[in-house]
Amino acid sequence: MESLDPRVNRMNLPSSFDEAMHKEEMDQLATYEVFLVPKEGKPLESVGPVHASEIEMAFVFGKEAYSRRFTCVAMAVCPTSSIFPSPVSEAGQSAYELLTDQAETEGDEQQYEVFHMNKRGKFHKHVGSLMAKGPLDALHQGKEAFPEETPQNVWVIPTSDFHFNSEEDSDLWATLPEKKYRDAIFYKAGDKIQKYKDSVNS
Amino acid sequence: MYGGGNVFEPMKVKELADEDPILLKEFQDRIDRGEKIEPTDWMPELYRKQLIRMIEQHAHSEIIGALPEGTWITRAPGFKRKMALMAKVQDEVGHAQLLYSAAETLGKPREAMIDDLINGRSKYSNIFNYPAFTWADSCFISWLVDAGAIVNQLANAKGSYGPYVRALDRICKEESFHLKYGHDCVASLAAGTPSQRKWMQEAIDRWWAPMMMFFGPSDKISVHSEILIKWKVKMASNDAMRQQFLDMYVPKIWELGFTIPDPLLRKNEEEDKWEITEPDWDEFKRVINGDGPCNKERLAVRRIAEERGKWVREAINRKSEKYMVPLA
Amino acid sequence: MDNQAAIELLYKMADDDLIIGHRNSEWTGVGPILEEDISFSSMAQDKIGHSWGLYKILHQLGESEPDLVAFTRNAEQFHNCQMVEFPIGEYDFSLIRHFLFDYADYHRFEMLENSSLTGLAQLARKIKGEIKYHILHARTWMKNLGNSTDEAKERLQRSLDTLYPMALGIFEKSPYEDQLISDGVFGGEEALQTRWLDSIMEVLRLTDLNHTLDSAASPLIGGRMGKHTDHLQPLLDEMSEVVRTDPTAEW
Repeated sequence: MESLDPRVNRMNLPSSFDEAMHKEEMDQLATYEVFLVPKEGKPLESVGPVHASEIEMAFVFGKEAYSRRFTCVAMAVCPTSSIFPSPVSEAGQSAYELLTDQAETEGDEQQYEVFHMNKRGKFHKHVGSLMAKGPLDALHQGKEAFPEETPQNVWVIPTSDFHFNSEEDSDLWATLPEKKYRDAIFYKAGDKIQKYKDSVNS
Repeated sequence: MYGGGNVFEPMKVKELADEDPILLKEFQDRIDRGEKIEPTDWMPELYRKQLIRMIEQHAHSEIIGALPEGTWITRAPGFKRKMALMAKVQDEVGHAQLLYSAAETLGKPREAMIDDLINGRSKYSNIFNYPAFTWADSCFISWLVDAGAIVNQLANAKGSYGPYVRALDRICKEESFHLKYGHDCVASLAAGTPSQRKWMQEAIDRWWAPMMMFFGPSDKISVHSEILIKWKVKMASNDAMRQQFLDMYVPKIWELGFTIPDPLLRKNEEEDKWEITEPDWDEFKRVINGDGPCNKERLAVRRIAEERGKWVREAINRKSEKYMVPLA
Repeated sequence: MDNQAAIELLYKMADDDLIIGHRNSEWTGVGPILEEDISFSSMAQDKIGHSWGLYKILHQLGESEPDLVAFTRNAEQFHNCQMVEFPIGEYDFSLIRHFLFDYADYHRFEMLENSSLTGLAQLARKIKGEIKYHILHARTWMKNLGNSTDEAKERLQRSLDTLYPMALGIFEKSPYEDQLISDGVFGGEEALQTRWLDSIMEVLRLTDLNHTLDSAASPLIGGRMGKHTDHLQPLLDEMSEVVRTDPTAEW
C-alpha cells in the first residue's frame, strides 16, 4: 500500500491483512492517577490517569501526558487502586455527610493525603494530610479536620503509595515557559494578513 | 479533532421505560440543575452506552486525526513549523489518551476500544479519510479542521458527564495553540509567493466538501435525539455547528483572498443563515462505511502500530499490577 | 580564542540533535503505547529545540541562519555521528539508540555547564532539566524491558550489540580536541566517553542484559568529518522537501 507519508511507506504496509488482529487482555496495563502543582503556592491537584507497567513508568508517562504544556512545579503519581473515594454528594451537601461505614479502630496509624472535589465536574485538590488507622478512619478524620469545607467527593490516599519528584528534580519543568512554539500567543497571523492586504492594495 | 455527525443513531439497550422512574427523575433533576454526572452515580443504560460511543469516537478521531497531519511531520519547512507540527500531532495523541481515559470511566477498557477501531467496528471523523497531498493540506487541517473541532468541543465541554467535561476542558485549552498555528501557516502562504498561494487555494478546493460534511447531516428530530439533548449528551445540532463554523471562518478565508469552491455559498442576512450547496451525503455514507480514499490506509497504519508495539506491551505488563477503571 | 574549534564542536552537537530528533519524530502517532507516544515525541521536540539553540549560537559566531544551515546543507556538510542517521527500525532499536545517545548528550551538556563559551554554558544550564527527563525515560524503559520477557531481552541485546560500536562513534575526536580542552570550552571526548560508560554500565547492571560490552569493538567513525551512511542524504532530502521548493519564501 502506497502512502503520501514517507514514514508510513517505511512501515511497509501490506496491501491487505490475512486475518483480524485482536488486542489481548494482557495489553491493558495498570492504572495510575497523576497529580500536579501548577504553580508555586498552589495545592497538588489531580489531572487524570495514565496506564503504565509500574509507578516509575507512570511518573515518566504522566509528566509528558499532563505537564508538557502550561506551567508545573511538581508532580506525584499513585496507583488508582490506592485511592479510597467517599460517596459523591449533591450540590450544597458535603460528601462527608454521606459516610456510613464505621472507621477502622484496629491497626497501625499511617499518613494519608486528603483531596477534595469541591464541585462535580471539577478536579480533586489536595487539602492536607492526617494520620489514620485505615481509609475509612481517614475519611472520618477528614470530616473533623476540614469542618469549613463541603466537598462533593473526597479521596484519601496513603502517603507512602505516592511517587513524587525530588526537590532537585523540579528543574524538569524549568523550560516550560520558554516552549513558545506550543503557545498560542507565539503566532501572530495578523502581520501576514496585513502583508497580504498591502500586496493587494499596492 | 472531532466534528460529530453520524453518532446518535438509536441503539439496542434497555428501554428507558424499564429504568427505575425515581432514579431516572433524580438523574434528570441533577442535570437540569446544571450539575455534572460522576462515574459512580446511577445512570440510565442508554446514557452510558451513548456516551461511551461518543467519547470513543472522539478518541478514535484524535488518534486517526494524527495521521493526515503526520503525513508532513518529517517535511515541515523550517524549525518553527517543524517543532510546532510535531507538538500539534503529539497533542492529538494526547487528546486521544485523555478521551480514552474518560470513556474508560464508563466501563470499557482502552484496549477494547482500540480493538474495535482496528477491526472496523467503530467510527471516527470522516474527514481523516481524505489525503493530505501537499504541505498546504496540512495547513488547512491545522487551521480549519481544528476550528471545526473546536466548535464541537466547546459545545460538548458544557455537557453533563464529569470526566468528559474535564478532558475537554484541557483539550480546549491546548487547541487554542492549534488554531493560531494553523491560521498563521495559512496566512503565511496567503502572503507568500504565487506558488504558495496556489497550493493553499488548491488545498481549500480539495478540503471544502469534506469540511462541510464534518459536522454530519442535518439532525432528524426524533424522540431519541430529544432525550440526548435533555441529558446534555448532545449539546448542539449538526446544522447549528456548521452554521457557527461558517459564520466564524468564511470571512477569515475571504480576508486572505481565497475563494471557496461553492457557487451557492452566501449569507442570507434576513434569516441570518448561511446558504450552501447540500453536501453529497451519499459520499459521506460511503466514506464512513469504509470506502473513502484513505480508510484502508488509516486503519492499516493503526493496526501495524499496534502489532509493532505488541512485544513492548507484553513485556512490561505485570500481572501483579491490576488494571483498574479510572475513577474520574 | 580561535572560533574554529568551538564552531566545529557546535556543529557536531547541533547536527546530532537535529538528526536524532528528526528520526525520533517519526514515531509520533505510531508509538507502541499512547503514553509512550507522547513522551517520545516530547523528547524528539526537545532535541530539535536543542539543535535550534545550538545553530543560533553558531549564527552569533558568524554562521548562516539556523533554517538555512539545517535545511539546505548536503550530507557531507553534516557533522553528526553516523549512529543518529540510521532509520528508526523497531522500537528496541530506537530505544537503545535513545539510551546510548542521551546519556552521552546528558554528560556532554553537563560538562559544558561551565564552558568558557558563555552562550553554550548558558544553554547547557537551561536545558539540564529536559535532558534529565530524557535519561530518566531511558533508564526507566531499560529497567522495565531489561528484566522482562525473553523476547524483549533478546531484542534489546541484539540492538545493543548493533548500536554499541555505533555509539562509540559519538566520541570521534575532532582536530581541535586539545585546543577545546586548553581553552576551557569543553573537557574533551575521552573524558566524556568515560563518564558515559560509567552511566550506561550502571543502568545495564539493573537489567538481565549482558554487561560485558565489547571493549575491542571498532567504533563507527567518520560522521564528524562529513562521512556518512547512505541513509543521511535521503533523510535530508525528505526534511527539506518543502523548503527547497523555495528556500527564500516564508512558510
